[in-house]
Amino acid sequence: MTAPAAVRTLTLKEIGPAQRASRPDEVVVAVSPAFADTFTRTIVDVPHAEVIRQVLAGIEEQGVTARMVKVWDTADLAAIAHTGARLSGSGISIGLLSRGTTMIHQRDLPRLSNLELFPQSPLLDAEVFRRIGSNAAQYAKGESPAPVPTRNDQMARPRWQAKAALLHLKEFECIVAGRRPVEVEPVISRA
Amino acid sequence: MTATQPRHSRRTEILEDRPVNLDGFVEEWPEKGLVAMESDFDPAPSVRVEDARIVELDGRARADFDFMDAFIADHAIDVGTTEASMAVPSDEIARMLINPTVSRQDVLAVTRGLTPAKILDVVKLMNVVEIMQGMQKMRARRTPANQGHSTSARDNPLQVAVDAAEGALRGFAELETTLGVLRYAPLVAIALQIGAQVGRGGVLTQCALEEATELELGMRGITAYAETISIYGTESVFVDGDDTPWSKSFLASAYASRGIKMRFTSGTGSEVQMGNAEGKSMLYLEIRCVLMAKGAGVQGLQNGSISCIGVPGAMPGGIRAVAAENLVASMVDLECASGNDQSFSHSAMRRTARMMPQLLPGTDFVCSGYSGVPNADNMFAGSNFDTDDYDDWNTIQRDLQVDGGLRHIREDEILQVRNKAARALQALFAELDLPRITDEEVEAATYANGSEDYPERDVLEDLKGAQSVMDSGITGLDLVTALERTGFHDVAENLLTVLRQRVSGDLLQTSAILTDDFVPLSAINDANDYAGPGTGYRLQGERWEQLKKLRHVTSAENPETEVS
Repeated sequence: MTAPAAVRTLTLKEIGPAQRASRPDEVVVAVSPAFADTFTRTIVDVPHAEVIRQVLAGIEEQGVTARMVKVWDTADLAAIAHTGARLSGSGISIGLLSRGTTMIHQRDLPRLSNLELFPQSPLLDAEVFRRIGSNAAQYAKGESPAPVPTRNDQMARPRWQAKAALLHLKEFECIVAGRRPVEVEPVISRA
Repeated sequence: MTATQPRHSRRTEILEDRPVNLDGFVEEWPEKGLVAMESDFDPAPSVRVEDARIVELDGRARADFDFMDAFIADHAIDVGTTEASMAVPSDEIARMLINPTVSRQDVLAVTRGLTPAKILDVVKLMNVVEIMQGMQKMRARRTPANQGHSTSARDNPLQVAVDAAEGALRGFAELETTLGVLRYAPLVAIALQIGAQVGRGGVLTQCALEEATELELGMRGITAYAETISIYGTESVFVDGDDTPWSKSFLASAYASRGIKMRFTSGTGSEVQMGNAEGKSMLYLEIRCVLMAKGAGVQGLQNGSISCIGVPGAMPGGIRAVAAENLVASMVDLECASGNDQSFSHSAMRRTARMMPQLLPGTDFVCSGYSGVPNADNMFAGSNFDTDDYDDWNTIQRDLQVDGGLRHIREDEILQVRNKAARALQALFAELDLPRITDEEVEAATYANGSEDYPERDVLEDLKGAQSVMDSGITGLDLVTALERTGFHDVAENLLTVLRQRVSGDLLQTSAILTDDFVPLSAINDANDYAGPGTGYRLQGERWEQLKKLRHVTSAENPETEVS
């Protein structure tokens, strides 16, 4: 495989403690402790810069604004996404783990429920991330979009299961217990 | 890009393209439990008994027990023999396991007093050949068997029925299904049950679902056993799933109260996969699961990593650990449905090597789910073997003269049984006012391979029909009546006979299956009596004649023809 012509890198600039917003037309994108930090790519090497670029583009193309927060005290996707949803003015959030596992959540749902879950991180590519952004924005507008089609690959297990476990353990090590969510500004630069 | 790529050897390029290099491999990280069975962080064996109560287990005092320790200490270990058993050196116990002159009962007399760390200490001494030798003797049922999956990517009940019928005829003693769309479950569970009884009377069926619905289908007699009741090796993973050893035991007793066969499920890798291995090796945690199952009083366990096989599969010695966990289930006198039931490797050689430690010595169920449908239709996320592998499996049985539970069937027999299962389900659905199965569908089902070979069904109508099964309270007995009324007397008779088993409770015995004559075959009346060469289960007589048959065998009498 040849490298893409321009490699984008993502840094998350800390703004301050994450606040709950009141504007109803926003989606909060909540990321895990190691996202764009200890890790820079998903389990299948999609750069985090590309993940965020696509998710934000998917939200914006629906005329909805996006806000990013970094969650520090857990690596549990449902908890991360639900934290985001409770901060979100619309009550809608997208939760992201470093390895790519993604969830669309809503404030009023139980934490272990969700609107859409994308559990197979190796099958998530740029196109899927854009559609996830778009769907989350549509939920924020009060619409009922068709769920993003889930993919399935029975050979994902032999190839990726152990690496996923390793990445999960590494993500766990980046948890900062007791640290509150931080609002961050995504800065994408070309290397 | 102007930089030139470094030149590779031609051989490297060819090896890079081999399927095995699509598999994932990971280094060990013992501190976090990412290690198969050799870890410095596992506890050392110890036990102390006071007032007929275990007060110390593997270096931990009772005051510090987590709920797994407490459950195992109070329910799984024989407090009367534990101190004597623990005093036997581990290498001596390992030698007892492989020594044919030491009987299975003599081994059990020792193993029922062992702690998890001691059992680990024993099996760590054994290489894979010794593990197989141990399994050959310690397997509970004398006669090995196999279990199949019958599912459909479209949840088409007709496909599930006909593939169950074919699978039953090919030899599976148990068949299980699960769903893509869970609401389809009642129709698919009925289809599985009917198809299985057409293929071979006495085959047991189950439908893997969330626990409440699964139990309800069992109690209604729409399924005959249950298997997917998951248990874990650490308290934290248990609690994450809102469960405890006691809640699982309660569920087990609900099944037992109706005479329904039931086993738990566990496997290496699940705890580390969920990030809560508490720094222990995969096999140590799995041994805790095995003893928890023992303590709960269930008759058996499905283990062999199961849906986490990608984790031990990626670790050094991981498949040895998987073989060892199967042996541990058998050496504490549980039925062992020994994995080989999930997609494991891109490499056909690795897939075959992975099952040798179960196929060669024989286990109670060599696969706890060989895919009786093409893997693309396998809603358990793919198995290590599927319908494409039937002829390979049959040939390996014949080559090594081992019984893996299957056999070759001629095409005319397959077409006949598939057609009959399709017609039986068609008649049953019509009789019960369930969504119609057309003649065109019956024809397609007779000749089909996968779900794409069938006309599409009206899913919404099917889901309404499924709901009506739940609402109207249809039971297994209603299915028997409907089959009888529509002229499928023999199928009705088969199903009724299976249902009657739950009254006798014989299927609650360890390793119970039903023979063609509906005789329960279990560790009670078919106890493994292996005692060295020439003893125990031998593939011979009528069964060996069956297994000599393959799709293409040149006739000795007339070499210009083939026999099959």
